[in-house]
Amino acid sequence: MLEKNYNLSNIKHEVLLEVAKLAKNNNLSDVDKLPYQMIEGPQSNFRCCIYKEREIISQRVRLAQGKSPSPTKENKNIVQVISSACEGCPIARYVVTDNCQKCMSKKCQQACKFDAISMTKDRAYIEASICKECGACAQACPYNAIADLMRPCKRSCPVDAISMDENNIVIINEERCINCGSCIKDCPFGAISDRSFMVDVIKLIQTGIPVYAEVAPAIEGQFGKGISIGALREGIKKLGFVDMYEAAIGADIVAVNEARELIRAKEDGHKMTTSCCPAFVNMIKKHFPTVIDCVSTTVSPMTVTARLIKSAHPDAVVVFIGPCIAKKGEVLESVTQDSADYALTFEELDVLFEAFEINLNTEERYLQQASIYGKQFASSGGVTKAVVQAIEEEGLNSEDYKVRQCNGADECKKALMILKSGKLPEDIIEGMACVGGCMNGPASRITGPVTMRNRNELLDQTDGRGIHENLNNYEKYNFSVHRK
Amino acid sequence: MTITICIGSSCHLKGSREVIRNLEELVERNGLQNKVEMEGSFCLNQCVKGVCVKIEDQIYSVTPSTTEEFFKNEVLTRVK
Repeated sequence: MLEKNYNLSNIKHEVLLEVAKLAKNNNLSDVDKLPYQMIEGPQSNFRCCIYKEREIISQRVRLAQGKSPSPTKENKNIVQVISSACEGCPIARYVVTDNCQKCMSKKCQQACKFDAISMTKDRAYIEASICKECGACAQACPYNAIADLMRPCKRSCPVDAISMDENNIVIINEERCINCGSCIKDCPFGAISDRSFMVDVIKLIQTGIPVYAEVAPAIEGQFGKGISIGALREGIKKLGFVDMYEAAIGADIVAVNEARELIRAKEDGHKMTTSCCPAFVNMIKKHFPTVIDCVSTTVSPMTVTARLIKSAHPDAVVVFIGPCIAKKGEVLESVTQDSADYALTFEELDVLFEAFEINLNTEERYLQQASIYGKQFASSGGVTKAVVQAIEEEGLNSEDYKVRQCNGADECKKALMILKSGKLPEDIIEGMACVGGCMNGPASRITGPVTMRNRNELLDQTDGRGIHENLNNYEKYNFSVHRK
Repeated sequence: MTITICIGSSCHLKGSREVIRNLEELVERNGLQNKVEMEGSFCLNQCVKGVCVKIEDQIYSVTPSTTEEFFKNEVLTRVK
C-alpha cells in the first residue's frame, strides 16, 4: 500500500491514519495486520527489504497507540527511537572528501592536536579512533575539503541527550531529553518519533463522556487558506468533541498574570522567565535547576484554558491540540494540576479529520475567543509582547521592563546560562524551544511561508480588542491560575 | 518517591482521575508533599487490572475505593 516515493511524513501520517480508522471502527484487535497490509511485498519500496519495512511500520503502530516502540523496553519518554528505522549513520564525524588537494602546507595536520591525520597516496586521512572531533582540521583546510558528518539527530539536540549504542543505533538519554522534538524533525530516516494519545481520545469520545478540545494559538493557518477558528470548531465538533476553545484565551489570562508577576519581581529585584513552553521549562528543570525559582508560577495557557473549561463543565475531559510534542509530557507531569487530560498534535488532528471523513468549510464564519495578543503567543516574541501590552493596559510604563526574547533552544540555553551566573541585564526571559515559536513546532501540519500567509490573512480579521477587554467575557469563571 | 498513574482511556474510565485526586488528598493529609510526586503515564498495557498505579516498577491495581488502603500499604510503608 505504501508506494516507492513515500516520504517520512507520509509514512507517519498513513500509520496514524490506519490506526485511527481501526480505533474508530472498534477493530483495534486487527492492529497486528497493519504491517502486512501496508507493506504487501514482495518488492521493498523505501528500505532494504520488506521485513525491515514491516518492522518499522509495526514499531510506528505501537507508538500510534501510545506504547513504547519495542515491547521489551518500557521507556517513559514521549520522544522514542524507532530502532528498526535507525540507519546507524557513520560514526566518524570528520571525513576528508575529494576536495582534498594533498597540499603542501598540510594545515589540517598542523591544526590537529591529536596526531589523528596522516597523508595517504592522494589525500589526507583522519584516523577515527584517534580523532576527538574538535573540528580544528575542518576549519584549517583552505579547500573546505573536510566534511562535518555529525549525525543529524545529535546535531539537532540542544541538550546533548543523544548518543549511540555499540551498533551505532541512536539512544536517547531520558534524564537529559526535554521532549522538544527537534531530533524527530531532523532525522532523515524518520527513526525518532513521538507516542500518541490519539487512540485514547477516540475511545473516550466513543463512550459518550463529555470531551472538550482546546486548540493551541498556532492552529490558525495550519489547516489551509481560509480555515478559521469557526471552521475548526465545527470540524472538531463533528469528530465528537462537545466544543472547542482557543487556548489563546488562557494565553490572555497568562499575559495578565505574568505582567503582575513581573511588576512584583522587579520591585523585589528578582528575574523571571515565562512558563508556557514545556520544552523550555524542561530545559530549566533538567539543566538549570538552580534558577527554577525564576520560572513564572502562572501555569501554562494549556492548563489555564483546561481549568476554565473544567470550571464551566466540571465533568469535562480536556484534550489540548497543538504543534507541540513536549505538551504530551506536560500533560503527564501535571496530572495533579487540573490541566488538560490529554494532548494531541496538529498532525494527529489532521489524521482524525481524514479518518472520520470530515471536510473543513472555508465558508464558516470567523470566530474570535481571544485577543490578538493571546493568539500571538504562537510566535517568538509574542508572549512578552502580550505581557508588555498587559502592563500598559494596567496604566504602567512598559519601557521600565526589559525583555529578552529567546528564539529557539540555543538562545534559551545562552540566556539561562547568563541568568544562572547572575548577570542577566533583562528582567524577563521569554523562552521558546522552537525557532520562530510554536508556529514551527515539530508536530505542525505545515510550516513555512504558505502557513504564514494563511495565518496572517486569518489574523487580519481579528477585531482590535485588548487583553483585559477580552477577559471580561470570562470573568464569571472562577479558578486559580497558579501552580498548586 | 514517584507514584505513576496510568491515564490511558481504560484506566480513565475506571476512575484514574479520582484515584489521583484521592492520592493527592492523602499525600496532603499526611504532609508528604515534599516526599511524594505523582505523574501520569501512557497505557501500562494491563488494562484489565486498571486503574494501574506503578511504584518502583511494580504495578498495582487500585480503584477509587481502595486508594486509601493502597496508600497505607504501599506508600506510607515506603516513605517512612
